[in-house]
Amino acid sequence: MKLRAVLAIIACKLTKFILRVMKRGGTNLPGKIAVKICPSVLGVMARGVTTIIITGTNGKTTTSRMVEQCLEEAGLSYFANRSGANLLTGITNEFAMNSTIFGKCKKSYAVIECDEAAFRHVSRYVDAKHIIVTNIFRDQVDRFVELENTMSGIRAGIENSPNACIAINADCSLTTSLVKNVNNKIIYYGVDCPIYEELVSEVSDAQYCINCKSEYNYEYKTYGHLGKYSCPECGYKRPDTEVYVTEVVSSDLDSTTVNLKISDSEKLLRINLPGGYNVYNAISAAAVAKGMGIDEDKIITALSSFECGFGRMENFDIGGKNVRMILIKNPAGCNQVLNFLTNTVKEKCLFVTITNDRISDGTDISWLWDANFEKLEELGDKLPMIYVGGLRADDMANRLKYAGRSLDRIRVIKDDDALLDEIDKADVDVFIMPTYSAMLSFREKISKRYNLKSYWEN
Amino acid sequence: MDELKICYLYPDVLNLFSDGGNITCIQKRLEWRNMKADVTRVFLGEKFNANDYDLFFIGGGQDFEQGVHLSDLMGEKASEIRKAVEDEKVFLAVDTGFELLGNYYKASNGTQYDMVGALNIHTEAGKERFIGNFCFENEAMGKIVGFENHGGRTYLGEGVKPLGKVLAGKGNNGTDGTEGARYKNVFATYAHGAVLPKNPAFADFIIKTALERKYGREIELSVLDDTTEMNANKYMVSRLGCE
Repeated sequence: MKLRAVLAIIACKLTKFILRVMKRGGTNLPGKIAVKICPSVLGVMARGVTTIIITGTNGKTTTSRMVEQCLEEAGLSYFANRSGANLLTGITNEFAMNSTIFGKCKKSYAVIECDEAAFRHVSRYVDAKHIIVTNIFRDQVDRFVELENTMSGIRAGIENSPNACIAINADCSLTTSLVKNVNNKIIYYGVDCPIYEELVSEVSDAQYCINCKSEYNYEYKTYGHLGKYSCPECGYKRPDTEVYVTEVVSSDLDSTTVNLKISDSEKLLRINLPGGYNVYNAISAAAVAKGMGIDEDKIITALSSFECGFGRMENFDIGGKNVRMILIKNPAGCNQVLNFLTNTVKEKCLFVTITNDRISDGTDISWLWDANFEKLEELGDKLPMIYVGGLRADDMANRLKYAGRSLDRIRVIKDDDALLDEIDKADVDVFIMPTYSAMLSFREKISKRYNLKSYWEN
Repeated sequence: MDELKICYLYPDVLNLFSDGGNITCIQKRLEWRNMKADVTRVFLGEKFNANDYDLFFIGGGQDFEQGVHLSDLMGEKASEIRKAVEDEKVFLAVDTGFELLGNYYKASNGTQYDMVGALNIHTEAGKERFIGNFCFENEAMGKIVGFENHGGRTYLGEGVKPLGKVLAGKGNNGTDGTEGARYKNVFATYAHGAVLPKNPAFADFIIKTALERKYGREIELSVLDDTTEMNANKYMVSRLGCE
C-alpha cells in the first residue's frame, strides 16, 4: 500500500504544481489523479490529524471559514479545503497539499467542508473528531433525488464516525432525526427566538413529523422549516439547546448582533455578515469550537472578527460603488436572500441574477418557481431594474415576469462580459445573485478585470 | 367575468418539483385576459367536492411522503377523482400525480400498490432514474420542453393516448416514444416543475378546455405577448437539438 500512496501523493502535488504554473485554478484534477492511483490514500494522510467535518445543505463554506477563525484565534495549526472543493477528490487533494510525500500531515487540525453526498465516502477514510451538520433543505433535486437520500447519506457518514462529537442544528427537525440512535456526544445549537419580523411564504421541506407523519406545531419559525417544532402525536420535538441565541439585538445590511450563550454567561456577538442564515453559521461554529474546548472569549473574538469570503455575500468595490455577490443555489437559500434584501435594502439598487444549470448548479432549475421572487416587487422604485444573465437567463426572465415584474424592468444579458460592462456602468449599489458555477466564473471575471486575487491564490 | 375554480390537490406534500408555478401560470394568463382564477388548496386529509371545481392540479412528491397521501387518496377520494375525470373535468397531473391517477404502481420489490384508477395506465419501478431536460411534441400544442426526473416506467392502456411524442429524453418509459397521457380532459405528463410557463400553448390549451367545459360554448382566447415564454422554450428546444 505504502508505495502506491506515496506515488499518489507525488502525482497529486506535481499536477497541482503544473496547473499553478499554467495559472489554472482547476481544483479537482490533482485529487482525481491521486484517488485513481491509490483510492485509500486519504486514509493514510488523515491519520494523526484532528479532522473537523462540516456538512449539510446550506452554510457549509461560511461555517468552515468561521471554524477556521476559531482555530486561528486559539493558536492551533490547521489547514482547510478553502476553495469549496468538497468532494472526495478535492478533499484528498487538500490533504496531499498539506502532507509530506510519505503521507504525514504537517498540521494538527483539518477543517473540511464536505458535500452531503460525499460524506459517506470521505468518512470511510477520515475518522472525524468533530462534525457539524448545518441543516437539511431540498437542494439540487436532480442530484440527490429527494431528502431521504441526502439524509441517509449523512446518516451513513455519522455511523462511520463513532469518535466524533457532533454539533447538530436543533431547529431543523430533519437534522436532529439523524442522531436519534447514535452514541456520539451531541452538542445541540439553535436560535431560541424568531429572527425576522416577517417571513416570505415558502414551501416547507419538513411539515410533517419524520416519525409519525402528523403535522408539526411550531411555537415560532426562524426561516424555512427551522424553528421550535413539536409533534402533537408522538411527542418528537426540538431538543434543548446547549449553544444558543437568546435574542437578536439588531440586524442591517452588513451585520447581525445577537446575544449568544455558549457556556456560563450570555455574550453580545456582532456577526459581520447579514441575514439569519449567517446567525446559524456562527453558532454552529461556536458549538464545534466549544466541543473542541476552545475558550469562550476566544470564540466570541474569532466570530466577531470574521470577514466574509468566496461568493457568500462578498463585497467588491467596482467603479466607486459597492457590488455584493450572494450565492443562490436552492429555494431555501434563495428565499433567505430575498427575505434579507427586502427587509434591509434602503436605497435604490440594481439586482443581477446569473442562472446556470451545469452539474454543480443542479441541472434542474425548477426550483426558481419555489423561490418567492414575488417578494422583490415589494421593493417598488428601489429596484427599477433586474439584469438577467447565465445559461438559463430566459427562464429567469420568464420567472420574474410571472412574479409580477413588468418587462421594461427586466433586461436579459446572456454574455458575461457584456453583463460586467453594464454592472460597471451602473451608478447604484449592485447585488449579484449567481448560481454556483456562475459565481466561480463571474468572480474570476471580476478578479481579472479589476486585478483582484483569484481564489486559488488565497 | 369568466372564472376558473382551481383545485390544487395536496400542495403540502405534492410540490416537490416546484409545481406551484403551474398554478401561478394559469392564474396570470387568466388575469392578463381579464378573467379570474380562484385557487383552493386542498391539503392532505381534507375533503373536497369535485363539483365545486373546474380544473384540478396534482403535482409530484417525494417518496418519504408518498406513504401519507397514498392511503389518503384511497377510498372516498379516489372515487371522487374517478367521477370527476369521467365527468370530463379538466386535470393537469404531473410526475407522481400522473402515476397516482393510474391503476397501479409496481414497486421494485414486486409489491403492487393500488392507485386511483382514473386512467387506464400503470407504472412499474425501473432500475435507473430518468433525469434531464427533455422535449416532446403534441400536434395541437407544438414542442413542449420540461425536466423529467422519475424512476417509474409508465405504460398506457387502451383508450388512453399519449400527450406527445418524445423528441429528446425518455418520456413515459424510455422505450415506446410516448410521453404523458391524454384521456377525456386529463392532461398528464412527466414534465415536472413549472412546465406551463415556458410552454404557453400547453397552458392555453388547458385553460381553453376548462373554460369550454365550464361554460359549454366555444371560447376564443385573446392572444398574449409570449416573447419571454417562447425565448425560454426555444432555448431548450434548440439546446436539445429538436428544431
